[in-house]
Amino acid sequence: MSATFEPNIVAFLCNWCSYAGADLAGTSRERYPANLQIIRVMCSGRVNPLYVMNALQQGADGVLVSGCHPGDCHYMEGNYYARRRLGMLKDLMEFIGVDPRRFHMSWVSASEGHKWKEVVEKTVEDAREAGPFEGFRRRQIDW
Amino acid sequence: MELEQLQKTAAEVADREDVKYVIGWKKGSYGYRVAPGFIEDAAGAAELIFSPLCTANLATYLTLVEKLPVPRGQEADDRKVAVMVKGCDSRAVAQLLVEKGIGREEVVVIGCPCPGVVDPELLAEKYPETEETVEIKWTEDGFLLVRGEEEIEISRDELLAEKCRLCRYPNPVISDVMLGEPVETRELVEDEGVAEIENRDVDERAAYWEEQFAKCVRCYSCRNVCPLCYCQDCILDRLNPTWVNRAVNFSENTAFNIARAFHLAGRCIECGECERVCPANIPLGRLNRKLAREVRDKYGFEPGVDPEAEPFQASFKPDDPEDFIL
Repeated sequence: MSATFEPNIVAFLCNWCSYAGADLAGTSRERYPANLQIIRVMCSGRVNPLYVMNALQQGADGVLVSGCHPGDCHYMEGNYYARRRLGMLKDLMEFIGVDPRRFHMSWVSASEGHKWKEVVEKTVEDAREAGPFEGFRRRQIDW
Repeated sequence: MELEQLQKTAAEVADREDVKYVIGWKKGSYGYRVAPGFIEDAAGAAELIFSPLCTANLATYLTLVEKLPVPRGQEADDRKVAVMVKGCDSRAVAQLLVEKGIGREEVVVIGCPCPGVVDPELLAEKYPETEETVEIKWTEDGFLLVRGEEEIEISRDELLAEKCRLCRYPNPVISDVMLGEPVETRELVEDEGVAEIENRDVDERAAYWEEQFAKCVRCYSCRNVCPLCYCQDCILDRLNPTWVNRAVNFSENTAFNIARAFHLAGRCIECGECERVCPANIPLGRLNRKLAREVRDKYGFEPGVDPEAEPFQASFKPDDPEDFIL
């Protein structure tokens, strides 16, 4: 892939930690790649694994799910469920031939603006290396 | 197991006041066919059989029953349903109990220890079907095929179904009535089908599954036959939101297969029915067994073994593996 390829990343951020963390990254003037389309969800446990599948189908080159650190969930345990489900999904995706670099999960708290930047850089870099996702993307996409 | 004992037990259970019917296997229309039999009284029990051809998982019928509203002034029929299960099928019943898909008081489980069933496709390939009466029996170390006058000894490895080669629960894990003696349990063997795919690199795996999923005709047989796919409102049928489009193309087929496999992660009890009924011969069993193995190795969980367990995807442990997290 040429070095100019800019991947589309869909990021699901939990309202209470990661979204605030991304906000902090902004207010602290951290510079990070602008390839992300951020979708705010109330909790990482809200992220149905099929969202990830659907994002890839609709033209995403990578997906990032980010939530509170274990034990810090606003809803006590939502991120534990997310960890279990999305861990399984990652195994399944890998098995059917989706590059593991396309899907990442991270814990970013509201005070970790700098960590958020690093996570985004890693995600974008990985997706860029993996190249445009051609796997089971829908063939006619008009956006 | 003696056939007489099976029929006698089935007759006794069918005659019980609190039992609506017994679900068992009976001879099909011709050749190797085996059909499910719904036995309401002792007389019907003479139809029942149990042979290496009884591959079907009858636990499916427990949740397929349509529950109609009870008309005013009438009492609901809350009699039990009795079902004959092999080892793998009994795990489906146990998993249904875990998920509260059925209640323990709604079902009578008749356990049949199973030395392993044949692969129907392999059988029809090697010993073509005929219209004469065919019978298969278990012997000490294999199967005995009786076709008219002819008797053929077949070794176990030749015809054994893939799921049985990997089976570790040949004896029912739960049962109210047990038929015959428990059979010998075998050790966990390596799953060659899954390992073969894992050893390829990502692009080869993608190519392999593209070839497989492109064949899918989206008949949803795999969903319909699965004892654990019993949601009244299945995401595949839902139009708003449309999780999976109805178009039959590679993208939607893959989405469907991911959704199906994922919904069975930590629930699939490896009865292999999805693979058996698939008209396109997609190796769905490999997908399911891969996930089952991950669940077993990484999370130390095995579905359908303990009816008191917590459902896998609706529970967690604080120390679940998180090496994939950035």
